[in-house]
Amino acid sequence: MPQPVTYRGMSLIVPDNDSEWKDYYAHARQHRLMLRACKACGLMRYPAMHACPWCMDLGWTWKEVSGRGTIYSYETVVHAIQPGFKDATPYAVVLVELDEQRGKPTADEALRIIGNLVKPDAVTFEDTKEVAIGRRARVVFQDLGESMALPQFTLSDEPPQGRVWRLPE
Amino acid sequence: MAMKTLKDKYCIVGVGETEYSRGSGRTTRALAVEAMRKAILDAGLRASDVDGVLDYQGGDSTFANHVAPDLGIRLNFYMDVMGGGSSTEALVGLAMGAIEAGMCNTVAIYRSMNGYSEFRIGGTGARAAQPVRGMDLAQVPFGMRSAGQTFAFTFMRHMYEYGTTSEQVAHVKVAHSKHASNNPKAIQKERVTVQDVVGSRWIVKPLHLLDCCLETDNATCIIVTSAERARDLKQRPVHIMGVAGRVSKPRVDYHWVHGPISRVAGYYAKDIVFGQAGIGPEDVDVTGSYDAFTFTTMLQLEEYGFCKKGEGGAYVSSGIIELGGKRPNNTSGGHLCEGYTHGMSMVIENVRQLRGTVDDTCPGAAEGKHSYDYSVGKCRQVRDAEITMNLGWAMPATGSALIMRR
Repeated sequence: MPQPVTYRGMSLIVPDNDSEWKDYYAHARQHRLMLRACKACGLMRYPAMHACPWCMDLGWTWKEVSGRGTIYSYETVVHAIQPGFKDATPYAVVLVELDEQRGKPTADEALRIIGNLVKPDAVTFEDTKEVAIGRRARVVFQDLGESMALPQFTLSDEPPQGRVWRLPE
Repeated sequence: MAMKTLKDKYCIVGVGETEYSRGSGRTTRALAVEAMRKAILDAGLRASDVDGVLDYQGGDSTFANHVAPDLGIRLNFYMDVMGGGSSTEALVGLAMGAIEAGMCNTVAIYRSMNGYSEFRIGGTGARAAQPVRGMDLAQVPFGMRSAGQTFAFTFMRHMYEYGTTSEQVAHVKVAHSKHASNNPKAIQKERVTVQDVVGSRWIVKPLHLLDCCLETDNATCIIVTSAERARDLKQRPVHIMGVAGRVSKPRVDYHWVHGPISRVAGYYAKDIVFGQAGIGPEDVDVTGSYDAFTFTTMLQLEEYGFCKKGEGGAYVSSGIIELGGKRPNNTSGGHLCEGYTHGMSMVIENVRQLRGTVDDTCPGAAEGKHSYDYSVGKCRQVRDAEITMNLGWAMPATGSALIMRR
């Protein structure tokens, strides 16, 4: 089993038999965002589960995506409960809807991934005044040791998609 | 496909709870024993009349086969279920099923927790330091672990899509604080204003401190038996018209994957529970919409059709949900003010509303004599309450519901 990675006081564990996450994080360490795609119907899914939720087929391949998308929702943590995040508050967590497969197979579906909103260096948390639904973001990878990297999101300079909104404060 | 109904064939005949405190100084076993004993006595039953026990927990409580023998109950059926909010209503349905199957006759359902002094539901303390593996890898490394943190995407997206405001949703806390001021059991009895809520410190935007419930030590218990058996018991029986348990959206574990995330499980549960009961939202006199957060009450009320989808903010700020309004919600003060029980206290409150014996400060409350004066420190009985509805919440993707009548 690979050694656990320590990050912000947490021990992140991805053992060799973690058939959901091991390859996903190994790809992330190569700075590639790879999702499982169904061999039967071709639809991708996230997280990397073992059956296709659309056709129940068990066959899959890894498919690389651009990592570009739009912020679908967000939150700003002001009171951290995890000790390792206390010195990082306030920080933004974003739910990014990837460009690939938006509105498929139904209008309400999309590939949605969680990350922190970070600066382009992938490490420094972005000013929370910058976060808003509708703003464009792209994936960046925060290396954690030799075997793992966290996919994070940073704002891109593309024009926003649809209405831009953030909580009035 | 239409589902079967057992409308009016089962009743809740006994209710009981311990003190709501922030430091019980006792084990969850001691708390559960006290709550179950009170519920049995409330029903006018003896220990030997109870032969089934169900409970729910998250690795933070005692077990049915420990509690029952402490009270001299010999079990024909018991089960410990994993889970928190939304379990009460689901277990009422399972109790009915166990009795219907001939496995037992009378079932006590309890939840016991030192939710403040031992296992903090908010995820702080020991839980915050646990290793991160498996499905937690999708969110915990990003500083997203507590209930408020995992639900906030849903709340924020609702504000974006429908223009819901912090001030509108704050009215849930305002209403529940009004109710709690007339509840001697409540931990927080002070009435608060909208300005108090939106002026309280941020926890995780869009949640302020006063948008969040009160972690509490307590145990609660209800007793389910057949309507036939209920006729001979001490209390006016409260009939179960419909029940839906842990109805879920297509994805539960990673609930934020499936859109629209501003939709909650009531979208699917409402047809089941209203279908069984043969009534609609307009027929309900009192609601008990789970208030882990102000937003959860609002989201469920609109999803179950008490107002149109997207109009929950207007609904909860209209005065309808306050005592004296058309359809009060959580007349005990709920999780925001009375104390956090994972939902069972809201069912207990509605049972008492239907009996007409809510435990306020009216001198004749136990005999059903109330002043209906809802000013501070007075009455919280709803006049002639005939039908109540509980809306249980586990998370945006899972919920339960229970419709009862007197």
